[in-house]
Amino acid sequence: MTSGTLTPPRKERAAPDAPRPTRSRRKPFLAPYLFVAPFYIVFAAFGLYPLVFALQLSFTDWKGAGRANFIGLENYTYLLTSEEFWSSLGNSAVMWLLIVPLQIVGGLAAAVLLANARLRLRGMFRVAFIAPFVTPLVAMAQVWIVAFDTDYGLVNHLFNLVGLPDIDWLQSTVWAKPTLALLFLWKTTGFAIIILLAGLQAVPGDVYEAADLDGASRKRQFWSLTLPLVRRSIAFLVVVQTLAVFQMFAEPFVVTQGGPYGSTTTGGLYLYNHILASDLGTGAANSFLLVLLVFALSLLSVRLLRSRDE
Amino acid sequence: MSRSFVPRRSVLRGALGAGALAAAAGPLAACAPGSSGSEPRKLTGTPSASAKGEITIWNRSGDLFKVFDAAIDAFRKAYPDVKVNHQAVDIDAKLANTLISGTDLPDGSFWDDAKIGGQVEHLYDLTDLIAPYRDKTSAYKLSVNTVGGRIYGVPWDLDPGLLWYREDLLEDAGVDPAGLKTYDDLLAAARSLREKNPKARPLHMEKDPFLGQLWLEMLAGQQGTSLADADGQVRLDSKEYRNILNWVRDAVDDDLVTHTEYLKQADLAALENGQQALVPWAVWWSFAPQQLLKKGKGKWRAAPLPAWTPGGARSGAMGGSSFIIPAKAKNPELAWLLYEFLCFKEPGYSAVYGPSEVYPGGLTTSVPSYGPARRPDKPLFEPVAALGGQDLWKVAVDAADTIPSAAPIPAWWAKSVDYLGNNLQRLIEGKMAPDDVIDDSTKKIQRNLVDRA
Repeated sequence: MTSGTLTPPRKERAAPDAPRPTRSRRKPFLAPYLFVAPFYIVFAAFGLYPLVFALQLSFTDWKGAGRANFIGLENYTYLLTSEEFWSSLGNSAVMWLLIVPLQIVGGLAAAVLLANARLRLRGMFRVAFIAPFVTPLVAMAQVWIVAFDTDYGLVNHLFNLVGLPDIDWLQSTVWAKPTLALLFLWKTTGFAIIILLAGLQAVPGDVYEAADLDGASRKRQFWSLTLPLVRRSIAFLVVVQTLAVFQMFAEPFVVTQGGPYGSTTTGGLYLYNHILASDLGTGAANSFLLVLLVFALSLLSVRLLRSRDE
Repeated sequence: MSRSFVPRRSVLRGALGAGALAAAAGPLAACAPGSSGSEPRKLTGTPSASAKGEITIWNRSGDLFKVFDAAIDAFRKAYPDVKVNHQAVDIDAKLANTLISGTDLPDGSFWDDAKIGGQVEHLYDLTDLIAPYRDKTSAYKLSVNTVGGRIYGVPWDLDPGLLWYREDLLEDAGVDPAGLKTYDDLLAAARSLREKNPKARPLHMEKDPFLGQLWLEMLAGQQGTSLADADGQVRLDSKEYRNILNWVRDAVDDDLVTHTEYLKQADLAALENGQQALVPWAVWWSFAPQQLLKKGKGKWRAAPLPAWTPGGARSGAMGGSSFIIPAKAKNPELAWLLYEFLCFKEPGYSAVYGPSEVYPGGLTTSVPSYGPARRPDKPLFEPVAALGGQDLWKVAVDAADTIPSAAPIPAWWAKSVDYLGNNLQRLIEGKMAPDDVIDDSTKKIQRNLVDRA
């Protein structure tokens, strides 16, 4: 950051013979409101109103038709005492553990490699990493279904070639979550690499030159320079991916429909199931509980980052 | 350059104002979810033969749509002044929402029986119009379309359960298909097949939880019961369901079961290589030997299902659809006229089930709900070459006649698959006992679905 002198704007007195301000000049305060009004109108209509409406809905038993009866906290108590609700959060938590640490470590390793100017075919690698991120998820989910089919899938075929037995990738409660996590990783790691690469490229080169002069090894430079300097990017990724994992919907919806036995019913899919069953009150309550959870997790990540800064 | 500042307090005041506005809008919005319950509307008048007007009818896309298109042509000839816009729509995704919102509604639609009970407040009450045909219509179909004593769907297809078997394999194992009269006989036949071929797992049991539960309901319906009674209360804890679940457990314990998903690759392979030879399933399984099986083509046959007790009913229904008329339809009378033609008039149902461009031998995946259309001596579709020329019509209509009446299918039926459908899978995988399936499913369906209906 460059430093300089900041001079406060000098207050100039109006010359005594200045012309009297007109009516429009006397009341200029309306103009800014008019300029920002479109945003507030759109925000109120499509942001605030649905939010307030959903909050209100969460205290009713509305099923999409007929009268919406006020039932107090019943939807919330139902969910908080529901085995399926906690199971869906548990599934999301396991997914988080399978995805986020691996993605951060793998994404950072890939970003460090891609940031190296001496790497050959760097452009090709960048495209290869980013390509899944821009590929339609539903198309890839279909590929996953075929590739991980127990009887006819490519993956089991390759396993058989090296003498390994068939695995029920999508139909066993043990393997369905890792298989979905792999799809999520494949799809979104490109995004993680973009963020981390941007973080790495923002680190000034002279920092490494100074470290070289001080005799720091590459390993030492990574742990003492690279990692602390991209910490903000990592924290950003953790927050964004935590939101994405807890709201994960399309992957289980297309590939496993939440099965087997609800083992891939994530928080997002469980919420959708209420909406699908026209149980809109419970769906709304579920969405607010998810919002609270995700908000708490995000806050935790931000706090962790801030405490390190201080 | 001069700048005008908006004081922080003013901003806060403005934000609070906007919040208050939104909060005030909330209660107004809450009026949107139907501030008053709507009463079902009754349709009583029938239009004359000189009826005039235009109707929009929704149907599923695919071959069946083309079949109905041809049948609707026959209707147009009978009623030249009625214009029918026959549209292919994703009914499962769209119809319920359209009924609720009340906008862009069709005048009539094809719909699964399982979904009608949950939307009766948005449908015409057709009880009076069906009255002249009631005695001759399948009791089962009438019962699943009846809510509170009123009928809301025009019964269309009846899907009797049949026993599909490989004739050649049964013959090799010395099993007489005519002797498969009870489910114990079926287990004995499966054991004989496995003795002949140790790799055989002759009995198909469904791996898809939804279809598995539909299959379970067919077996329950055969005994005159169903998941919910007429008041929507769960009645899983019964002798009839225990019969089925204990039978499933016995088949699993004896290693007689191929547990695969309906006509997926693994299922097809097991059907082709002789591993599976006995498939208790709806009449619509006829699609497999006709279009999917190559090696087994011509070797499969159909018979009535075995009975649960000697002399008991030899079939139950598995799936089925009806026609509904939305309460806010613009031309409900004309929609009824079309359905009356298709369901109860000979040129109508013959046009659907008889030979057509799409199905040269006729539509063999269901039979009509209306008795006079289901006469054994007047087949609507032809003997099926892929079944060795068997007269499937006679087998299916004879079986259909034995299906007992049931209760309306509750609105939460599909959601109950998360509990009963999944637990049935656990039973087939040997991870749950029959009593546990009943207890756990009953408890969860009651808490999560019935109590919150």
